Order: sequence, then C-alpha cells, then structure tokens
Amino acid sequence: MTTNDWLGVFFALVSAIGMVAVYFMVFRPSNKDTFEAQAGMALDDEDHINVGEKR
Amino acid sequence: MEATQATPVKYDMEVVRWFTIAAAIYAVVGTLIGVYVASELAFPFLNMDLEYITFGRLRPLHTNAVIFAFGGCALMATGFYMVQRTGSTKLWSNKLAWFTFWGWNLIIVSAVITLPLGMTTGKEYAELEWPIDILIAVVWLSFGLNHIMTVAIRKTSHIYVSNWFTMGMIIMITYLHVVNSMAIPVSLTNSFSIYTGVQDAMIQWWWGHNAVGFYLTGGFLGIMYYFVPKQVGKPVFSYRLSVLHFWALTFGYVWLGAHHLQYTALPDWTGSLGAAVSLAMIIPSWGGAMNGMMTLSGAWDRLRTDYILRFLVVALAFYAMSTFEGPVMSIKTVNALSHYTDWTVGHVHSGALGWMAMVAYGAMYHMIKKLWGVEKMYSESLVNVHFWLATIGTVVYVVAMWVSGIMQGLMWRDYDEYGTLTYTFVESVSAMHPYYAMRAIGGAIFNLGAWIALYNIVMTVRTASAVRGANAVPANA
Repeated sequence: MTTNDWLGVFFALVSAIGMVAVYFMVFRPSNKDTFEAQAGMALDDEDHINVGEKR
Repeated sequence: MEATQATPVKYDMEVVRWFTIAAAIYAVVGTLIGVYVASELAFPFLNMDLEYITFGRLRPLHTNAVIFAFGGCALMATGFYMVQRTGSTKLWSNKLAWFTFWGWNLIIVSAVITLPLGMTTGKEYAELEWPIDILIAVVWLSFGLNHIMTVAIRKTSHIYVSNWFTMGMIIMITYLHVVNSMAIPVSLTNSFSIYTGVQDAMIQWWWGHNAVGFYLTGGFLGIMYYFVPKQVGKPVFSYRLSVLHFWALTFGYVWLGAHHLQYTALPDWTGSLGAAVSLAMIIPSWGGAMNGMMTLSGAWDRLRTDYILRFLVVALAFYAMSTFEGPVMSIKTVNALSHYTDWTVGHVHSGALGWMAMVAYGAMYHMIKKLWGVEKMYSESLVNVHFWLATIGTVVYVVAMWVSGIMQGLMWRDYDEYGTLTYTFVESVSAMHPYYAMRAIGGAIFNLGAWIALYNIVMTVRTASAVRGANAVPANA
C-alpha cells in the first residue's frame, strides 16, 4: 500500500461515515420539526422586498 | 426564515439584472453555434474550407458558450439573487460582484477569439489555454468569496438549501478546475498537461463528470429548490429530503468520473466503482426530482395557466430521466454499445436542454418580473410559445440521437458468419445522415425559442423602464 492508497482509504472511510452521519441526522425524528420549519424559507423573503439600486 | 429586519433590505440587484440579460443573449448565441455545427455534420459543405469554422473548432465554442456563458451567467444571476433574498442582506461586496460580471464576460470573449483560432488544450469542457484558465480561477473565486461572505453576513440563522448547493458547486468547481488545468506553458497560447497517459484521462473525466455533477446539476438544483416553491407559492415538499439530496450528491458525485473510461487502459475496478456509485446516485437524484414535483401537490392545476411553472416542471422530468439514463449507460454491458456513439450526445442534451436550460429559463422569467417590478412579461403567450418550442426542440434532438446512437453502436459491433465486420465505418456515417439532419432541426427549433425569449425579455425590460421613467417609481427587486 502506497501513501496514495492509504489516503484514498482514509477519505473513502471519512466520506462513508459522513454520509451515514447525515442520514442519521436527517431522519432522526427529533430533528424533523427543526428541518421542516425551514421549508417555507424561500416564500418568506417576499416580506423584505425593497427597491433594486442603480449602480 | 427569521425576520430580524425592522426595515426593508436594500438588495444589490443591478448586477443580477445584467447577468440575467447576458444569460438570455448567450443562450441564443450558444445554441445558434450548436445548430451550425450540427448542420455541418449533416451537410459538410458548411465547413466552407475555412479552418476557423470547422466542426472541430466551433464545437468547443458551442459547449463553452452554452455551459459557461449561458449556464454560468444564469448560475451567477440566481446565486446572487437567492443568497440576498434568503439571507435578508445585500451582497458582501457589490463592487466584487461587478468584477465577477466583467471578468466572466472577458473570459467568454477570450474563448470566442481563441477557440476558432485553434488555441486549445484539447481537454473536453476545459479547452481554454492556461492564461484564460488562470483568469477563470480568479473570477470564479471572486464569485465564490462574495457568495460565501454574503452567507456569512446573513440576517437569518438558517442557510437555505439552495445556498448550500451553490456553495458546494463553488468549492468543488474551484478544486476540479485548478487540478484539471495544471499545465506546463510553452508559450502564451500553448501548454501541456502535467499529467500523462491514463492519469491524464482519469483527471480529465474526474473533472468532466463533476462539471456535470456540481455545476450543471448541483448549481441548477439550487435554482430548483428556490424557484419551484416561489413559483408555486408553496413550501418545499420535504426539506429533510432536500438536505439529504445535497449531501448525497456531494458525497457521491466525485466517484463517478471513471465510468467515462470503461474498456480503456484504466484499471478495470475503477470503471466498475464508477458504475456502481452511478447506479446508487439514482436514489438521491430521483428523491430530489420527486421532492420538486411533490412541491406542486394541490397546485397541479396551475400548470394550465402558469407557463413559467411549466418550464420548471418539465425540467424536473428531464432531470429524473437523465439521472436514470446516465447510470444505465455507465453499466459496462450497456456502455459497450453506447460509448463513442451519439447516444451519449443525446443523453448530454436531454440534461443540458431539458434540465439545465429549462430550469434556467423558468428562474430567469421569474426573476425578470421581480427585478423590473412588473406583474407580467411583455407577452405571456410568447412564454408559452417558447416553452413548447423548447420542449419539442429538445425531444426531436434527443430522439434523433437516441435512435442514431443505438443504430451506430449496433452497426459497429455487427459481424457476419466469418467473423468479418458487416459494415464499414463509412457505411455507419452514411446511415447517420437523416438523424444528423433531424438533430439540426431539433436544435433550430430550440434556438428559435431562445430568440423569442430574448425578444420577450428585452420588450419586458423596455416596457418596465418606460413605465418607470414616466412614473419616476423605482423598480422592485
């Protein structure tokens, strides 16, 4: 195993563990409301519309 | 979103307006060059014995124009628009945004000059020579720095998912562009890649597929997650799924490049790994497409009257289709038939025209009404005409390439009872002619739609400016 091989293994494992962590975080029932509270964020910004400036 | 602002925010939207108009112009130019090069394949006399306009020189100009000029301007317009609106803040630096605008346009002009002159690295989707590559890195970083710093100074606690997609694209494209473009210059207009042989190929397709993955997919998914809810007037169907979509794409896409190099000198396992991860990516991709589609739950009737929404929904359909087709084509047995044929070209265009261009136009129409403070486009009917031309043009193009590509692959591999190839290569080229003509017609239909969009956009802006001038009321952004 060369240094490159070990680096590859390291990053592969970090990626895999990271992905599992994301699944856990997203699907954890206690996090559901926290995430879904942001679903309408794109709609809320209508309240803040103001004039577009001229350069 | 937490509204912490007592007073309305003044956004920096002038640069967004310019990027939006530039995107509409580059869409016309880029697809027009595409129609011409497609016509050259069907009718070679169009080369006119001029080396500057041969397929080999104009084809990279076409891809650079549609991906980086049209797509880049659309991404930067929407990126700067979304980050301000979802963060309740103006840009971190308006001046830097203008540097990005003029710098990006300088790069496009440089491509228009150098590619027809034959100055190219020969690396697909990374053809520009090293001085322009350095300029791309600088200008791209200016966009990235401004976007990320605007996120940092936001007035909201949460970073909306669209901004995550844009930031993921910025970071990964910086990394990919710099690594893939590493070269030893021998003159101002010539250089050699620092990688050799199979490593060069591997790096090239690590870049090539991730330009698709993070730029043409991730960046435009950011657009989808903002503009679909905005246009429908309903929240994202599942925000948790959108978060998972982002992280799954970010983790997964970087492994896929090797599926472009099946049956080459690359170690066999790398191609198998690329194909396996490609197949796994169907799950988050379809999850994301369904998430976008389901955002319309209870509002499907809007498709009868909302022409902009049609663009966004058809884009999602093409996204789902392309992200199924791509992994299937990466499987070795399918790849043995599809690779080097026009099936690949059809696949790329179902993504580029059906997904990228459609979602970009949906976002652009939405933004133009907001940016110039008008209730409607100059002609809503022309938006509908554009939608149908874009859809029909895309379908005609893609179907022509599917049929011709599969036919081409079958002709190349066919052999008789003595083990001799049944068809010569020239016979397969000859058989392609009607499909090449059909492809050019499909592209021309799409291009006609782009002209109509540009006319409609220009007239909307002119009308809004005239009304604003008469009433002396500034436009809302």
